[in-house]
Amino acid sequence: MMTSSLLNSMVSTVAAMAPDTAGHAAHAEPAAVGHGPAWVLLIPFLPFAGFLLNALYAAFGVKSKLPAWTTVGLLACSFIATLSMFMGYDGTPYTVQAFEWFNIHYGDKSLVANFSFYVDTLTIYWMLFVTGLATLIALYASEYMSHDVGQGYNRFFAAFALFVVSMSCLVMGDNLIMLYLGWEGVGLCSYLLIGYFYKKPSAVAAAKKAFIVNRIGDLGLALGVYLTFVHFGTVQYSELFASETLQGYIAAASHGDFSMIPGEAQWIALLLMIGAFGKSAQFPLYVWLPDAMEGPTPVSALIHAATMVTAGVYLIARMYPLFLVSETALPIVAWIGTITAFLAATIGMAQFDIKRIMAYSTVSQLGYMFAGLGFLTPTGGAYHVLTHAFFKALLFLCCGAVMHGFAGQLDLRKLSGLWKVKGWGIVSLGMLVGCINLAGVPFTAGYFSKDTILAEAFVTPGYAFLGWVLILTAGLTAYYTFRVFFRVFVGPVEYHPGDELHDHDHDHGHGEDHHHDAGQHGDHHADHFHPHAPGWAINTVLVVLTGCSLLATGLYFVGGDKDAHTKHYADTMVMDSSASYHSGYSKHAFEAYEADPEHAHEPGHGPRGSIDKALAMPLTGGDPHKMMYFISGVVGVIGIALAWLLHYQGRTKASECKMDAIARRFGPIPRWAENKWYVDELYHAIFVKPLRIISHVFHWVDKLLVDGIVNVFGFLPRVFAWIIRPSQSGVLQGYAVSMAGGLAILLFVVLIIVSRAGGAS
Amino acid sequence: MLQIIQPAQLAFPEPVEASVIAPYLFVSAAMFVIGLVGFLTRKNMIIMFLCTELMFQAAGLALIAFGRHHLGADGQTFVIFVLCVAAAEAAMALALVVLLFRHRESLGASAWKELNG
Amino acid sequence: MSLEVWSLLALIFLPAVVGVLIGLVKNEDNAYRIALATTLALCVPAVGLLGAFDFNHAGMTQFEHSIPWVPGLGLEFSIGMDSVSLLLILLSVLLGPIVVLASKTAITKDRRMYYAWLTVLQGAMVGVFAAQDLLLFYICFEFTLLPMFILIRKYGSTNRIAASTKFFLYTFTGSMMTLAGLMYVVWFVAQDAQLGRWTLDIATLTHYAGNMSLTEQGWVLAAMLAGFAVKVPLFPVHTWLPLAHTEAPTAGSVILAGVLLKLGTYGFYRFAVPLAPEAFFEYAPAIAILSIIGIIYAGLICWVQDDIKKLVAYSSVSHLGFCILGLSALNVTGFSGSILYMLSHGFSTGGLFLMIGFMYERYHTRDMNEVGGLASKMPVWATFMVFFAMASVGLPGLNGFPSELLCLISAFQSDAAWNAAGEPGAWGASLGPWFAVFAGTGMVIAAMYLLYMVGKICFGAYKEPADHHPHDELPTDLNTREILTLTPLAIGCVLFGLQPTLLLDAVSEPVNNTVRLVEQANGIEPGEPAIRHIMNEHADDHGNDLGGDSHD
Repeated sequence: MMTSSLLNSMVSTVAAMAPDTAGHAAHAEPAAVGHGPAWVLLIPFLPFAGFLLNALYAAFGVKSKLPAWTTVGLLACSFIATLSMFMGYDGTPYTVQAFEWFNIHYGDKSLVANFSFYVDTLTIYWMLFVTGLATLIALYASEYMSHDVGQGYNRFFAAFALFVVSMSCLVMGDNLIMLYLGWEGVGLCSYLLIGYFYKKPSAVAAAKKAFIVNRIGDLGLALGVYLTFVHFGTVQYSELFASETLQGYIAAASHGDFSMIPGEAQWIALLLMIGAFGKSAQFPLYVWLPDAMEGPTPVSALIHAATMVTAGVYLIARMYPLFLVSETALPIVAWIGTITAFLAATIGMAQFDIKRIMAYSTVSQLGYMFAGLGFLTPTGGAYHVLTHAFFKALLFLCCGAVMHGFAGQLDLRKLSGLWKVKGWGIVSLGMLVGCINLAGVPFTAGYFSKDTILAEAFVTPGYAFLGWVLILTAGLTAYYTFRVFFRVFVGPVEYHPGDELHDHDHDHGHGEDHHHDAGQHGDHHADHFHPHAPGWAINTVLVVLTGCSLLATGLYFVGGDKDAHTKHYADTMVMDSSASYHSGYSKHAFEAYEADPEHAHEPGHGPRGSIDKALAMPLTGGDPHKMMYFISGVVGVIGIALAWLLHYQGRTKASECKMDAIARRFGPIPRWAENKWYVDELYHAIFVKPLRIISHVFHWVDKLLVDGIVNVFGFLPRVFAWIIRPSQSGVLQGYAVSMAGGLAILLFVVLIIVSRAGGAS
Repeated sequence: MLQIIQPAQLAFPEPVEASVIAPYLFVSAAMFVIGLVGFLTRKNMIIMFLCTELMFQAAGLALIAFGRHHLGADGQTFVIFVLCVAAAEAAMALALVVLLFRHRESLGASAWKELNG
Repeated sequence: MSLEVWSLLALIFLPAVVGVLIGLVKNEDNAYRIALATTLALCVPAVGLLGAFDFNHAGMTQFEHSIPWVPGLGLEFSIGMDSVSLLLILLSVLLGPIVVLASKTAITKDRRMYYAWLTVLQGAMVGVFAAQDLLLFYICFEFTLLPMFILIRKYGSTNRIAASTKFFLYTFTGSMMTLAGLMYVVWFVAQDAQLGRWTLDIATLTHYAGNMSLTEQGWVLAAMLAGFAVKVPLFPVHTWLPLAHTEAPTAGSVILAGVLLKLGTYGFYRFAVPLAPEAFFEYAPAIAILSIIGIIYAGLICWVQDDIKKLVAYSSVSHLGFCILGLSALNVTGFSGSILYMLSHGFSTGGLFLMIGFMYERYHTRDMNEVGGLASKMPVWATFMVFFAMASVGLPGLNGFPSELLCLISAFQSDAAWNAAGEPGAWGASLGPWFAVFAGTGMVIAAMYLLYMVGKICFGAYKEPADHHPHDELPTDLNTREILTLTPLAIGCVLFGLQPTLLLDAVSEPVNNTVRLVEQANGIEPGEPAIRHIMNEHADDHGNDLGGDSHD
């Protein structure tokens, strides 16, 4: 509490530093957006206080779990503040300003982007799970990172808290520049946390890769922001969404009349999209995310599964009006999402590192969310974000517990039957719950959220093919998810410890030392290795998350609003925000069907033209939403059954199963998939290598040509001097002769001039 | 007691025609050319120095002649300057020549070529 | 004369006087102490000026004072400042104690001369920014060369002779042409304004210079570019900088990056744009293209450097490309961003040079293949390194971001077609979105090379040169003195990152004046917003179909 009062005073001081803000900002805002209570600022500023405190701990060399408790406490307070923001929300979006940030005036125009926060349902929706999960995962990390208590621990929690700050700014910022601040801020924290084990070259490389690939996306985002400003004259949400120009575009787009909308407006979405692809690891910018698993597992769970990577989905949902007015943006989003989902699933099938499998699964699921946005159902995308956040965080934390307990072992060929090992029940249960969600077992949260997206593929015209691909991918997902479960958690009990990389990290300064050590450990202690079961903090978090994952199902049935024509909680939250300018396909079609299934031919209008018979599911007929319950359920079960057959049935050892024989028949394909279809190598060959060569060429050009020319200019006088040098003979008479000669010539010239002048006059 | 001399009180000569000073100029030119040729052709530093003196005096003579022609004090003033400079220079130059002679045991100007490029 | 004028005079002349004094002291330790005390003491009048400055009239020249110097030539010793000058003066004065403090252990031989010249340099830099007389500006501008030349020549590393020679000759040759151009303006104004005398007063010159024909302005601009572009430096006249930076002592590099390069950009802002407004508008795309080439080209070169100091030096070339890009956008965002860039670059790159200096004192190498993984040995150092690298990358919340953002957005929005079409955010008409797209790749490249540097030097397994032995006086990690030198810079980075509006407000008036000058000279009227009738009708007709049910 002391910190919060301190913070309050800090906030007020900061606010006082920027005196005449209200004057500039207030007049331009439409009446629809009000001013919110100042305590909302606590949501980002409490974690910021946590960051500062942790930095202080680091400065004073605190060697206890103090940073963890500080972080957990402050994040919990932040979560409570978010909850009360949710409870107190009365349906009108509002902004809260911390202080002035950018304020440039040019005549009657201005570029205003203040450090202020915009709260509507979408914000609340996102912030609830961001702060909630962050609190839980911080608690988990308090135990998980305990072997690093000291500098590493302080550093970890400082970055962790900073991440929550950045994420809050991203989600809550009231303008695109604030979003960009959060966007890059989470990128920094991701960089710092992936590179947490900074002595490991692979971790450093992964961190660098994540940051740079994200920067490519950020460039797109930045250009999108600039174009938004140029075209709409503002970057503030409240002004942007109220802009009459934009409203006009949306009206035109809803009739499929894109010729009315100038190209600049259509380009905005395409540029923003690139940013979203980078942050949310979509094809072709997904390559950083699997590598990001080099970071500590809590980081993978929070940043690289649950929250940060959904920032792209948030961006598109938040900017949905701008995406709707672009003829090409949403179809591209749909296609890219589907391609990513499928591609990542195929790679995930062939991996052996369980954390990497989860990473590819994250990429794949993000593909679903993007596809959902592309299929004009921001609701589906956002709902999947929420369910995915819970079950994927759970899955990662379970993997992390395994990694923690088995000395860094993550290879599914070296672990088996953990359910039966004492103390691993909660982890195994959590894993099971996570897996059924991810696999889309009927009546789980993952099942409902995925169906929302899949069904929409058949409702919106032109996406049926993508729908089938996604259904196939759902089957693959079920397969690779349960492959992990059947290999690692059930079957005969067998385990081999890993190389315990991070455990030794703080003991030994040198890289070689710990490799040496790790080898010894693996060789000599494998026989009497005792995994240490997770402690109370990890178990508590796992239990809570298991509960949340299961309860998330309930969100499909509650929270609907009859007046607003929304069906469930996520729908209500999304439809009440800027993402609400949706095309009306789904709504029109669904409502008409509900009202009169026989004669439902109320056509829907939308950017993709109008639909007449959107309600019929291909092959099976019927309303896609209803049919999808069966189709995806069946596909999921088939995938699980395959996994059971191939990876569980008759397996006696951890390392061998029936799948091995089948995989051999496919020739090199499984190996290609295991090597991620060589996309990294491809990128390296076509981007990194040439760029590197060009850089070297530039370096030499600079040295030889550009600087060479300069040196030539320096050299020319020297050459000239060398030529006329002999004239300086050193002989006195020589000089005298040239002097006399020069004088004579001069006289001669003067004489001529004088005589000429005389002649003329 | 000094008295300010008014130009009108002085029986100042009239300016003269150019033809009147022509002989002086011829003598001056001749002296100058003799000096120049001597300077260029002789190797002995003392002779060369004497030749420069000759050129100085040639210039001085021309100055006085022109001064008479234009009827100004400038010419004569300059000559006084030139004489002063020449005197100072003579002292310096001869001292230098002595020094140089001590180094090379020779009065030839060609003994010194260090300043070649 | 008022107290403010005395303060300003003290900022210019006190360092020179003290510089001579330092040259005379017996004890070399005293040289350091006097220099430190003087540079610290100079902060007092500087802060006093900041306090006395009337920001409501930031565009006016304040604390103005002139003393006739050579009246026949119109030469006056005339000083004063608007907010842009004030901020740059503050930057120069602030860097003074920092570089002196940072040199304590780094400089061991002939410290008297070192601190004397370092102190003298302070005054000259303030003189450049405070000059209201063209020739005074030029004299100070050129005079800064001398102390820097000596600092590099005498206290640099192995290749210092070549570096200092190239530095001096290159920049000096360029400035001679600038002088010619400026003198032409003086001559022209003396004719044009019919004052009956010569004038070198910058405000007067600015007022009349726009009357020059486009051809005249073009030549004048070319002459000014010759000097200022070398100083900035702009591609392709940048090659002196990496050499000078690499060979200079740490303090020299910090001052060079922090202030001396800004003399070039300041020259652009103060002279090139106002004295040749039409020509600058005409050739702005060409200048912008050069700066974009610089951004990409120098950035890529950074990426393949082994010498860490050379890397940061090339990064200066790349970064200042953004600064010039912003200037050539010729709009409010561009000028603001560019001025912000001048200030913030001094903080982040100055910080990076200090970091490298501190490392060099301990390891005596700048080769990133020889040292690495310092985070495990020097955590505080590594933390600062990552911090300044991130500031340099342009991470939002730190100082690089506002300036980079504004420079890019200014180039993006400064599109003639958009301006004519009345896009509400299209300010200026000299460049266009493609300029920002290409310059924006510099953001990615900056991340590539700075993270490459940080990854090599801070992270990975610990590596030290074979003949490494601990420093006699310095601990393994940074000591208090070193942290003290870095702290003001770090605070500045955060402050500029979170409160750029303080600076933006401060420079708003002069910047708007400059933009008005350019627009009037070129007859640009910001386009009226095109009323999108069709769209609005659509909105009225069908607005209810969509999103009408979201909230009313």
